[in-house]
Formats: sequence, structure tokens, C-alpha cells
Amino acid sequence: MAPVGVTTAGMIRGFRAGAVLVLPVAAYGVAFGVLAAQASLAIAQALAMSVFIYSGSAQLAVVNALSTGETGLGAVVATVLLLNARYLLFGAALRPWLGQAPALPTYAGLFFMGDGNWMLSMKAHAEGEQDGGFLLGSGVAMFAPWIGGTVVGYYAGALIPNPAALGLDFLLIAFAAAMAAGMVKTRGDLVPVAIAAAVSIGAASVTSGGWPVVAAGLAGLLYAALKR
Amino acid sequence: MSDLTVLLVATAIAAFLCRAGGFWFMRFVPLTPRVERALRATPLAVMVGIAAPAVVRGGLAEAAGLAAAVVTMRLTGNDLVAAAVGVAAVALLR
Repeated sequence: MAPVGVTTAGMIRGFRAGAVLVLPVAAYGVAFGVLAAQASLAIAQALAMSVFIYSGSAQLAVVNALSTGETGLGAVVATVLLLNARYLLFGAALRPWLGQAPALPTYAGLFFMGDGNWMLSMKAHAEGEQDGGFLLGSGVAMFAPWIGGTVVGYYAGALIPNPAALGLDFLLIAFAAAMAAGMVKTRGDLVPVAIAAAVSIGAASVTSGGWPVVAAGLAGLLYAALKR
Repeated sequence: MSDLTVLLVATAIAAFLCRAGGFWFMRFVPLTPRVERALRATPLAVMVGIAAPAVVRGGLAEAAGLAAAVVTMRLTGNDLVAAAVGVAAVALLR
């Protein structure tokens, strides 16, 4: 396999593609900042969480644990692992593309990986993007508004309109639906779509967090591995 | 270190392990055509898995938003436009 380059041009392409996610990510960051302020976290603590955990659902779990006084380390860490288990699958799916890329920028890209920029990166790669910098660039494009949103929400959350009224909470979902619709090329592709939909809806009725997504991804993976 | 600092460091490590772990683990799995085909099939399934439960959980607005996004995508082939139309539909109907 040919080595995969990581160039500034690739990072810039990723950064530009990631710009579409700035508003909704900032809105989520604001929502977290508001909650962090309400839970009487210091701004440095709220920021450290946004920088180093960088996962909305996991951060909410930690704030929730803190505000209920339930700081059992094992339980909180287990919650974060469960909420982020889908990233194991996302990372594995990047291997055929980035397995030959230099390790440092690739792992840096993984640090910044979120749902939105992973979707953008997989789509770009399917359309011919080879540069490993795309993941890092699109990740950084999402990271900045996440941090900025955290600060704004912490200090001025009450002044910001409700993102749900603007439909911003639906953007990632609409994006996922649109990209899925774009990936369906043949009638045969509708089979894994139906399987993934059924599995995720079924999983969502018995569990929550990232599990329905993991279940759908594994179902699609198994279907592709077993067919023919 | 305070309890909160310990909690922060531990959760940050857990979050990074999830992000890097799957990619790292696949180092040790030979990329046979079957494995590669399976990995390449995950994005479509994951995206459906993000969208489908959200629509079931939501109401009429979310269902209309999903339909608008899918139809716009099939008509225009542009996912940015499709996502924007989906969001606009949800915002209007809520």
C-alpha cells in the first residue's frame, strides 16, 4: 500500500469542510457552558473538560455526577467509555485509509475526532480524498467553536436563544440522513440501510447514549462481511 | 490532586482511549478484502443509526425534517443544502 501523506493543503481542505459544523457545535458548547456554570464549576474546570474530554455526552455525564455528589471514579469512567464506545468503531473504519499515514498527525486527528467531522472525512475519502490531514483539519474546525461555545455559555448562556428552537440540534441528524441518502447507489444498498435502521431503533428502545449507533455500525459491518 | 482533577484526568484518558483505540487495534487485524469491505460499510450504517432513532424519538417535525433532507439530497446531490433544508423544516414545524 502506498504511504498516505499528511499535508497542510489536506488540513485546510478538512478545515473548510468542517466549517459547516461550526454553528451547531458552538450551540452544543454553549449548552455545556451553561450547565457547567449552573453546576458551580470554575471556568478553568469547564474549559479543561471541553479541551480534554471533548465529548458533549461524556461531559454532561461528568457534570451530572458532580452535581449529584456521585463522584465514584469507576462509575464515571465507565459511563464515559460507554458513551464514547462508538469512537472505537469510527477509528477502526479509518484504518484502511490512514493505516499508512504518519502516526503523530493521525493520532492528533483522532484526538479531535467527533461524530460530524468523522462523517465528513469518511465521505471525503469515499469521494477520493487521500490526504490524512483532512481528519485533523476538520477536527480542529469543530474543536474551536466547541471551546468558544463553552466560554460563551459559561458567562452569557442566559442571553443566547434556545438552539433547539432554531433546529440546530437537528443538524447532525439531518446531515447523517443526507449523507446516508447520498451513499445509497444501488437497490442493494437499501438492505444494510433497513438493517441499520431496525437495529438502531430497536437498540434505542432498550438503551441510550452511543449504543444505538454502535449497534447499527456493527450490524452494517457484519452484513458487509457476511454477504456473498 | 483534588477529586475533581482526578476525575477529569481519568475521564480525559477514557475519552482518548475510545478515539484512538479502535484505530490502534486494527493494526493487528490483517486488512483482508473482507475486513476492508466490512469497515467501509460502517459509515452508511452509522449514519442511519444516528438518524433513525432520533426521528423515532422525535415527532412529526423530525420525521418531516428527515424526509426533507433525504428528498433534497436525492434531487440536488448536495448534502449541505439537504441538511439545511432538513433543519429549516424542523425549525418551522416546531
